[in-house]
Amino acid sequence: MDTVGSEVILTIKGVSKSFPGVRALDGVSVDVRRGTVHGIVGENGAGKSTLMKILSGVYQKDSGKVVFDGQTIEHTTPQESMHRGLAIIYQELNLVNTMSVGENIFLGRFKEMKGMRGTHAKAGELLESIGCKISTSKLVSELSVSEKQMVEIAKALSFKSKLIIMDEPSSSLTGEEMCELIKIIHQLKAQGISIIYISHKLDEIFDFCDIVTVMRDGHVIDTKPKVDFTRDDLITKMVGRTIENEYPERPRCAGDTLMEVQSINTHKLHDISFTLRKGEILGLVGLVGAGRTEIVRALYGADKVRGHRVLIKGKPVTIRNPKEAKDAGFGFIPEDRKLQGLVLPFSVESNISMASISNFSKFGFIRKSLEKGIGTRQVKALNVKTPSTRVPVRNLSGGNQQKCIVGRWMEISPSIFIMDEPTKGIDVGAKYEIYSLMKEIAERGGAIILISSELPEVLNMSNRVLTIFEGRITGEFDPESTSVDKIMKAALGIVGGCA
Amino acid sequence: MHRESVSINAVISVVRDYLVLVMIAALVAITAVIEPKFMSGANLVNIMRQFGPLIMVSLGMTFVIIGGFIDLSVAGTINLVAVVTISLIQPLGQVPALLIGLTIGAVCGGLNSALILSSGALTQAEALFITFGMSTVYSAIALLYSGGSTMHFWDISASKSVFEAIGGGNVGFLSVSFVIFLVCLALLWVFQTKTSEGRAICLTGGNKTAARLAGVQVSRAIVVIYMICGLMAGVGAIVLFSRITTAAPVIGAGYETNAILSVVVGGTTLKGGKGSVLRTVMGVLLVILMSNCLDLLGVSSYLQYAVKGAILVFAIWLDNRKQA
Repeated sequence: MDTVGSEVILTIKGVSKSFPGVRALDGVSVDVRRGTVHGIVGENGAGKSTLMKILSGVYQKDSGKVVFDGQTIEHTTPQESMHRGLAIIYQELNLVNTMSVGENIFLGRFKEMKGMRGTHAKAGELLESIGCKISTSKLVSELSVSEKQMVEIAKALSFKSKLIIMDEPSSSLTGEEMCELIKIIHQLKAQGISIIYISHKLDEIFDFCDIVTVMRDGHVIDTKPKVDFTRDDLITKMVGRTIENEYPERPRCAGDTLMEVQSINTHKLHDISFTLRKGEILGLVGLVGAGRTEIVRALYGADKVRGHRVLIKGKPVTIRNPKEAKDAGFGFIPEDRKLQGLVLPFSVESNISMASISNFSKFGFIRKSLEKGIGTRQVKALNVKTPSTRVPVRNLSGGNQQKCIVGRWMEISPSIFIMDEPTKGIDVGAKYEIYSLMKEIAERGGAIILISSELPEVLNMSNRVLTIFEGRITGEFDPESTSVDKIMKAALGIVGGCA
Repeated sequence: MHRESVSINAVISVVRDYLVLVMIAALVAITAVIEPKFMSGANLVNIMRQFGPLIMVSLGMTFVIIGGFIDLSVAGTINLVAVVTISLIQPLGQVPALLIGLTIGAVCGGLNSALILSSGALTQAEALFITFGMSTVYSAIALLYSGGSTMHFWDISASKSVFEAIGGGNVGFLSVSFVIFLVCLALLWVFQTKTSEGRAICLTGGNKTAARLAGVQVSRAIVVIYMICGLMAGVGAIVLFSRITTAAPVIGAGYETNAILSVVVGGTTLKGGKGSVLRTVMGVLLVILMSNCLDLLGVSSYLQYAVKGAILVFAIWLDNRKQA
């Protein structure tokens, strides 16, 4: 903790910000010290992202004071912040896919770098300084998510950044990639660079943050050195109430075989066959890109896949598109909430009613009163925090948006519910609510196929897990009686076999 | 302070929303003062008649744009429907000719959507090029069919009373074409706002991927929007040649840009998802009043093109500002 006493690089004092109908930040004050990793945790909607956007100049604050590196900052733009030495790396990375790594790092500054040769040489040095071996002439579209993150970090360094904000950097990283990131964070820290690290994952916060700030409902609840927090303490402060467990007890009601899938084959998937029982949660474990999402998309008819057989309750069914899948009793929560799940400018109500239009239409005409009922019912049942069902779903926080998607399907009670990363980027409290819902669905006799990059989530919720490696099923395990190591090895393709 | 800023924002958004109405009122007031002829009965009837063809095409275009696409083929469709319909009055009689004309319009639209779907061209830009190409194809067919010649009503000896009524008849104090417009508007408004298919179209325009994954039949919605657009272009073609009593194979030139202009100026976003046929009526009114006013004020038609272009760009700029 030798760094804690060091000089303050960023002071935020009494910053407030309102949006129509929401007070996003209310008198927030935080100090960030040089060369520290400062974790900011809080539920979605706590105001973390708003605060970061004010720092980087995407939003302007209503009141309060921001002092960065001795300079009081009033109105700023993202470009100005960059040049001042304050870089932000967003969850959805901001790189130009069709340009090379080097070009991305020095985008718009080729002249200063004395042409392309200088650009690539300098970019190479920067990447090397963080121990990264990506070729600077590689196209960004060919990089993995973690490599893209490295490029973002190199870009931040190219501006001689003194403070780098990382907004949920780990949400799409595998364990190994995470280790790389942690290494780099330590290096940056050693160079005297401060890092604001936003995350939902408490493990990471406890792993390498020095100081932790907890935010809730637009307020700073507490800022303390990490060592002064206990895990339970942190969770309680985040959600404002005590949460006993992170996971509910897993449902135990697996019954007869509900669905049989026989040999899905594509250029990426090889002979995928499995069964799904009634009342069961089946977890798919594997690295990002192993083919987990492709399997469920093929099942759901989202991708054109031919030649496989699907039997539901012993009867063969043909699913050529999502509509047919829905009619066959499927529900689907897609991987990317904003791009694939929601119609962002539309109201909460119409986002919830999307899948059940036929339930509230008669002879092709919509009955508004019934639709309104559906919206209100699901908002209430799932405890969605929204001022009304008519506000655009864009205004809601991530967890509440996800609940809208869940509610959409609850309305038609699917018997097979596919959930691809259902808790990605949402906070502890909302996660627990979604887990409870999963349990409820299973107990009502529905079956769930769960994909998640968070291993503890899959292992704690599933009755059975399948490990996927390079498009093949490499093992089937009972997560209760199998060691995590064994499952991880199968998911990494090291050994196969059944428990 | 917090509440105040909310209400100011609300006022700004209302003004933005009804900017078109404000502009129409200003235009009418200014022109009426400068040129008294504007308010004469003859001129108002003239405006009502000009309203006919463009509003039909624009109403159809509204659906395509709400659905997140665009249709440049309406000019070609109008050419084709006009020359075929007028040529069939003599041999088949006027009602069969009318029905065949409308069918051709819908089929042209259906063909556009089939090409878009089968080629997987699911972006607005791709649809723009496909329909641009199809416009040329439809126009070429119209030219080949008519041999490039213009057909006149006075060449037709068979009864053409229906078309004469559409072109110049009145129901009470309203022209027949205006009544057709009111009927189309009512039907399309109900279709857009009250039916599940209308909802599917809005969802498709809002986010195709999300709509599809929620089990909305996106492909069907795309076919429907293009068929409506083609059909309404057909209606527009018939209203148009009935009014001018001739049909040349280039009769529809410029309608695609004017229709898109009207829809966007009316406030339907080119990004898809949001918009309304009622807004389009405002947009068409503004576009027509504007050319009428500029005509009366003696502004050259070349300069009028520039004004229209500037307004389209301004409308899109405003729309983008609204999103940001």
